[in-house]
Amino acid sequence: MTRQAASAKPHGLLTLGFLSVLQESHGWLGGYLVTNGWGRPLEFRLTTAVQPNRVQTVLYGPTLSEYLHADVIGKTLVEKTTTKPDLIVTDSLPVLALRSRIDIPVVAVGSAPEHLGDWVAFPHVRSSTLLLLPRKFEVDQDRIVALLDQVDPAVDLAEPFTRVREAVAEARKMGVTNRAA
Amino acid sequence: MPPDNLTEAVEVALEFGASSVELSKLDYPLDPNVREARLLSETPSVRSLGRLELSVSTAGWKFPKPPVEYTPPNPPTTSSTARVSTSVPAVFNPPLPDPSEPARPRIRPKPTNDTVLFKDRLLYLLQPPLDGLFGSRQLEVPFEPYKYQLEGIAFLVPRQSALLADEMGLGKTAQAILALRVLFHHGYIHRALVVCPKPLMYNWARELKMWAPDIPFETFDGDPEERRRMWLVSNCPLKLINYETLSRDCELATDPRVHFDVVVLDEAQRIKNKESKTSQVVRAIHRSRSWALTGTPIENHPDDLVNIFSFLDSGRIPPGTPPRRLPQYTSDSILRRTKDLVQSDMPTKTIRDITIELTPAQRAAYDRAENEGVVHLNELGDTITIQHVFQLVMRLKQICNFDPVTGDSAKLEQLLTDMEEVAASGRKAIVFSQWVEPLQVLAQALARYGALQYHGKVPHAQRTAILDRFRDDPDCHVLLMSYGTGSVGLNLQFANYVFLFDRWWNPAVEDQAINRAHRLGQRHPVTVTRFLSSNTIEQRIAEILEAKRQLFHELIAQADKPETRGLTEEEIFGLFDIKARPKRDKPPPA
Repeated sequence: MTRQAASAKPHGLLTLGFLSVLQESHGWLGGYLVTNGWGRPLEFRLTTAVQPNRVQTVLYGPTLSEYLHADVIGKTLVEKTTTKPDLIVTDSLPVLALRSRIDIPVVAVGSAPEHLGDWVAFPHVRSSTLLLLPRKFEVDQDRIVALLDQVDPAVDLAEPFTRVREAVAEARKMGVTNRAA
Repeated sequence: MPPDNLTEAVEVALEFGASSVELSKLDYPLDPNVREARLLSETPSVRSLGRLELSVSTAGWKFPKPPVEYTPPNPPTTSSTARVSTSVPAVFNPPLPDPSEPARPRIRPKPTNDTVLFKDRLLYLLQPPLDGLFGSRQLEVPFEPYKYQLEGIAFLVPRQSALLADEMGLGKTAQAILALRVLFHHGYIHRALVVCPKPLMYNWARELKMWAPDIPFETFDGDPEERRRMWLVSNCPLKLINYETLSRDCELATDPRVHFDVVVLDEAQRIKNKESKTSQVVRAIHRSRSWALTGTPIENHPDDLVNIFSFLDSGRIPPGTPPRRLPQYTSDSILRRTKDLVQSDMPTKTIRDITIELTPAQRAAYDRAENEGVVHLNELGDTITIQHVFQLVMRLKQICNFDPVTGDSAKLEQLLTDMEEVAASGRKAIVFSQWVEPLQVLAQALARYGALQYHGKVPHAQRTAILDRFRDDPDCHVLLMSYGTGSVGLNLQFANYVFLFDRWWNPAVEDQAINRAHRLGQRHPVTVTRFLSSNTIEQRIAEILEAKRQLFHELIAQADKPETRGLTEEEIFGLFDIKARPKRDKPPPA
């Protein structure tokens, strides 16, 4: 395992991306909040909802979930957002595949899967839940820990997803999700 | 090939082939319905299944960048810890959360009902919780605010117009300061003005240093030229001014070059008279947000609230709105909590009504004064005015305090007895009166308890030192205050006894006085003693006020109709058995 020391940044300059993929009646949509190291919002972006049809579901087979979460929603959100994060945190495990498409570490919050074989789970004081990495990206763990050590103690990595969900709900209420361009 | 030809070919094979060859059987019978098959040389038709890749559109919003991180000064450390901190930057690592603990509710600002733009609503929806903010290194505070205070801050932060009307003693000042601090730190405001009564300037300065040590502030005290510089040149983010100085500087305060992102009015009941100069000046200040703080938004009449809103949001309440419909326009901008609602763990407040029998000399003087006074009032006929009645009431109340000839005082005797106990237990007491003269007499009588005076005849320059001495000197057990000077805004939570030597006309003012001691930070029960001379005007007034106090609680609970809390003209006339009434062209309004 190689150790990649993250460059030390003050809390205010470190940037974190919180990426959530939600399922609603019209399909799947993504919400992406970029904050500084204090958890204060810098940028927010959301997608329109996307619903795979029957043929796409059949043809993509078991790869559909990763394709949908990582390529269609995750990569699009990260690339279109101006502020580039030092670390991306997600509450959707399939989004972790995004790591192979971008050069930013991606980590998931949440409960560990039943079979940990393909996963690395580790705790950190900045998260009220375990942190998860695919074993093939295990090399990122030290870098992620070094970055999280710089995050303000008031931040709980699981908390901003509440904000993302509320913002998406507000967008839906105001009809913004239909007119994203 | 046509089916008939196929049949013929098979028959030929049977005729000429070896009889030993047996054709394998078909797995399933040929479908007799097939009448046609395409040759392989023909191009099959292709039907597209559509795009297989998925795509999404996105929409995004950027927010103001928070200012550069503020690094608070290091707290004092011992030499050994200091050595450690110089070699290794200390990282605050709280213990890992216990998953078995239930998640605590988070308190965050929410967009207001009148926030229309989605981006503006997002800005508040996406803010981090306040409960973590103040406990961390981001915004250090001497102690973490209570939950209801965080809710108060979450109420103020997103609002352009806000009236924080918490009951006295719940920390409105701290909530306002922390809300300002959050806005400064988020980069949403850059200039703020706090207006408060003159006696509270020191209090505000102290609280600002405590709750927002990283926000520089300056106070408008100095000659006119210096104040002009402060208004027009100074870039200090937070300015503190009293109402009197603001009125004097009205031209500068309303200069178009002077703009504040927030103007906070403390004790906002000061602008309940819409026509007063103070009220006109604060309304004319150029500002983006308007906040008001008061524990008594309605002192006497619903118009008090209407006039406060003329500062908060001048167009909010349509002219002529009946009082019962006021909540429809104001409720989203008002937050009021009482101690009973928010702080069950606060030390108790015990009200003790002591009925005092006047001394014989007092009784004789009182009866004579009342009888003569009533006769005089009746003789006035329709030339009587409310001032005539007031004069008699005042005269009688003064006799209830001290006999004008002998100086006898049944109340003083009781107070001396009680003070023995207060001093013996090492506690401190505040004694309120509506007049200065009785306080001066009491000061002599209570000299052995280190009595200090705080009233209108004490120069402003000495007042802060008096309060500091009362707090710090263990031999000073009693502070003698007038309602007018000492009832508002002061933090005297180190006192555990309050004596109302005489009663004020308005329960709201009495409550303000009591809450100097029974407020946030009080650690011991507070005993409030109200002296009432039996069979006197004091008792009659107290009965009327108690009935009105009950009515106030009912109306506030219903959030329906603001109340009238002082005595009405008719009630004042009704204090005595007089038939005379002022001559009027029209009957007085109900």
